[in-house]
Amino acid sequence: MTFVTPKSKHGDASDGNLGGRLSRIDGPEKITGRATYAIEHQIEGLVYAVTVQSTIAAGTVKSVDSKAAEASPGVLLVLTPDNITHLKSATTWAGTPGPEGPFLALPKTVRFNGQHVVAVVAETLEQATAAAALIKVSYEETEHVYGLEDPKAGEGVPIDPMTKSWGDAETAFAEAPVRIEQEYKTPREYNVAIEPHGIIAQWEGDKLTLWEPSQWVDGMARSYAEWFGIPFENVRMISPYIGGGFGSKALSLPHGAVAAIAARMLGKPVKLAVTRPQTFTAYGGRPATRQTLALGATKEGKLLSIIQHGVNETSKLGMAVEPLGSVTAIMYAVPNFSSRQNVIPLNTVTPGALRAPGENPSAFGIESAIDELAYEIGMDPLEIRLLNYAEEDPHAKIPWSTRQLREAFAEGAKAFGWSKRTPAPRSMRDGNQLIGWGVAAGTYPVRRTPGEALVRILADGTAEVASSSIDMGQGTYTILAQTAAEVLGIPVDRIRVKLGDSALPRAPVAGGSQLANLMTGAVHKAALAAREELIGLALNHPNSPFLDLQLNTLTIADGTISTPRGERADISIADFMQHIGQEKIETLRDTLPEEKKNTVDRYNNFTTMMAMKSPTEGGYSLHSWCAHFVEVRVDEDFGTVRVSRMVSALDSGRLYNPKLAESQWRGGIIMGIGQALLEEGIIDPRNARVINNNLGDYLVATNADIPDLQVISVGIPDHHASVLGGKAVGELPIVGVAPAIANAVFHATGKRIRDLPITLDKIL
Amino acid sequence: MTGTINLKLDINGRSRELAVEPRVTLLDALREHLDLTGTKKGCDQGQCGACTVHVDGKRVLACLTLAAQVEGRAITTIEGLADGDGGLHPVQSAFLEHDAFQCGYCTPGQIMSAVACIREGHTKSDNEIREYMSGNLCRCGAYSHIVAAVREAAEAAS
Repeated sequence: MTFVTPKSKHGDASDGNLGGRLSRIDGPEKITGRATYAIEHQIEGLVYAVTVQSTIAAGTVKSVDSKAAEASPGVLLVLTPDNITHLKSATTWAGTPGPEGPFLALPKTVRFNGQHVVAVVAETLEQATAAAALIKVSYEETEHVYGLEDPKAGEGVPIDPMTKSWGDAETAFAEAPVRIEQEYKTPREYNVAIEPHGIIAQWEGDKLTLWEPSQWVDGMARSYAEWFGIPFENVRMISPYIGGGFGSKALSLPHGAVAAIAARMLGKPVKLAVTRPQTFTAYGGRPATRQTLALGATKEGKLLSIIQHGVNETSKLGMAVEPLGSVTAIMYAVPNFSSRQNVIPLNTVTPGALRAPGENPSAFGIESAIDELAYEIGMDPLEIRLLNYAEEDPHAKIPWSTRQLREAFAEGAKAFGWSKRTPAPRSMRDGNQLIGWGVAAGTYPVRRTPGEALVRILADGTAEVASSSIDMGQGTYTILAQTAAEVLGIPVDRIRVKLGDSALPRAPVAGGSQLANLMTGAVHKAALAAREELIGLALNHPNSPFLDLQLNTLTIADGTISTPRGERADISIADFMQHIGQEKIETLRDTLPEEKKNTVDRYNNFTTMMAMKSPTEGGYSLHSWCAHFVEVRVDEDFGTVRVSRMVSALDSGRLYNPKLAESQWRGGIIMGIGQALLEEGIIDPRNARVINNNLGDYLVATNADIPDLQVISVGIPDHHASVLGGKAVGELPIVGVAPAIANAVFHATGKRIRDLPITLDKIL
Repeated sequence: MTGTINLKLDINGRSRELAVEPRVTLLDALREHLDLTGTKKGCDQGQCGACTVHVDGKRVLACLTLAAQVEGRAITTIEGLADGDGGLHPVQSAFLEHDAFQCGYCTPGQIMSAVACIREGHTKSDNEIREYMSGNLCRCGAYSHIVAAVREAAEAAS
């Protein structure tokens, strides 16, 4: 059980209300080492599981020689494709039935290099690790496809729902006075949360408790329940702190099933920690993508046509789509448009979600291409974006709810000093450093799913908020405390927030940047109900000191109940609760529509993504927007690129806590800098192995890679987007960073890099 | 390998005894045997810095150190950084104030590195702080705030 309570306040008292810059209330736990992440839970009789991953990309496990491992000290169990329990297939995240047949956590059929094929359980981690090294697996190997470059990859499968078109894009392009057509590529990229995936599984009868980092405890608990054929209520998932997820910790995975199977077979709690190298294939990151973009325009730079064809890789097992047309279709006003996408199955783990799946590589394409068009016609890259500004959603043909992108361009350009830019490539330098300035825009949709929350006012005048939603660093604990504090009139340091436990009131996935908006909405609703109940008791309870005043309202502020005109002395909530002899006031509220409050819809709402509303449902097109301005310095002799300065202006609507939202923005921008310059999964064509499967070879941005970053909020409250006016925060800031850097590199060097990352070999 | 050895480790000013196999790392000794889970395992290969602790006041990667190597040395972990009960070390306070973390998983390692970085005198400029804090990866991307926190704590210490 983890309660997080604000320990100290910073700044003035208004920080405690929504919109204040309160320091994160889970901070003291995290900076002292007291925050207990999933597999740090202390439990008696724990044993340790270690998996062995396949060393071939495709084929069959012929046999497993586990004799030496079984004879190794401390070994309790060796699980192989031959003795692993066959689980039932679980419903997918989309709410569709899972694949046919049993779910095999250690399958005999190998479909990618690095697939778990064996697990060893022993008394200690060292014993399990040593014994796992003694496992000998024999394979029957078959032909594999290693990547999009593989000649065997083919054209893939068209994904019809991704097709978007209006006007006559082909004809308009053919007749356009100015035409550019290029291909843009992004490599396989990995989430690389610093906390590797892991789990502790414990059975008590047919009840399963899981301590596992999770962006979605209800959704993941459902998978375990269905795998093992036990009621959903029998699974409890506990995840009070998550050491980063970025999309990778929302779904149950084979290693979790292995741990739960082993725990059941042994009758002991089992801990399974995925090793860092194993994280590269225990789940998928962003798939490699390619897209061709053809832009037709007038000589003055007005877009006439956009034609896009994208592909992304997927696995031989599952269909992962990285929607490459998502930004292309809404960023600019264009009368003729066509976008389609294929997906190419090959021998990789099924790709997953990584910060702004779709929007991120989509923006790399269109925001590079529009820059190319600007140079083609000799126009300022900022000006061409304003010239083609979309005044309404060009795809859905409905108004934006709010779109502060023009403001983002203006504020960002001003803070950056864009007007001092000289247009020609290689025209700015400092000694042997070529200086380039680039700009690009980004966007991320507002996704909406109903939520549920419990608010409890206690006899001591404090209050609790409870929800199964999670905090992986976005600031959920803090903003929910602020929401409750403001509504209840109780100081924020007297609010406790409890999250990350499937035994609590339900929440949908912390993904798609939706959680803050939907949970502040649910907590706001529950807190309003609690406050009303408290006031109702103060007006009507026989023991209330206010009873005889015949008032119809009371004020609550700073934990104290007051009469409107001072008719009676103020009384603290704690004293009042004592007066009326009540232990608590408890309100549980959800934001489900009336027709969806039945048991089945409610269950699906929280355990699948069926109920998630599209950003265009309801007559307005809901999106967050941003503009990034980048300065790079490129060493003329060595081709090394450094980002030396960045200004980003972002529209996430109303910010519930600007201090924490700015942290997410900077974090996304930093991940984007790494994506632009460093990150690339390198696959060995011979065996489809990820050869840089560690943090020394798969490079993410370090502190020394990051310059001063200025972020500016240009958002305004958007009540079409959410009850309290916020829009998407967490995924927005990475969108557009890579093209802004690529555009700056072009300005610096005259070299257009169309495949990420931008490494020196491509510049020299 | 079945034998265990008896170790007496000086951790956060307390003597802790444990019987472990000689191949147990300091990191696993802390996390799996001594209930000191504040020190984090991010890679177990010396690449991420999440397991940074102090041995005799110097920053060390606990994943690349055997528990048996540090007998008789003074080990400080995040749990023992602050004096007394409930108080915070100035670097911890600066991290909180500057929001120098999000998920919090790399944070104990960052703080242990930051304390050492200041002690080493590598805080003469923001660029020097960045360089000497680059052994600690933060995937949430709190680097700008980490630099601000280290700078402030260094100024306060001087």
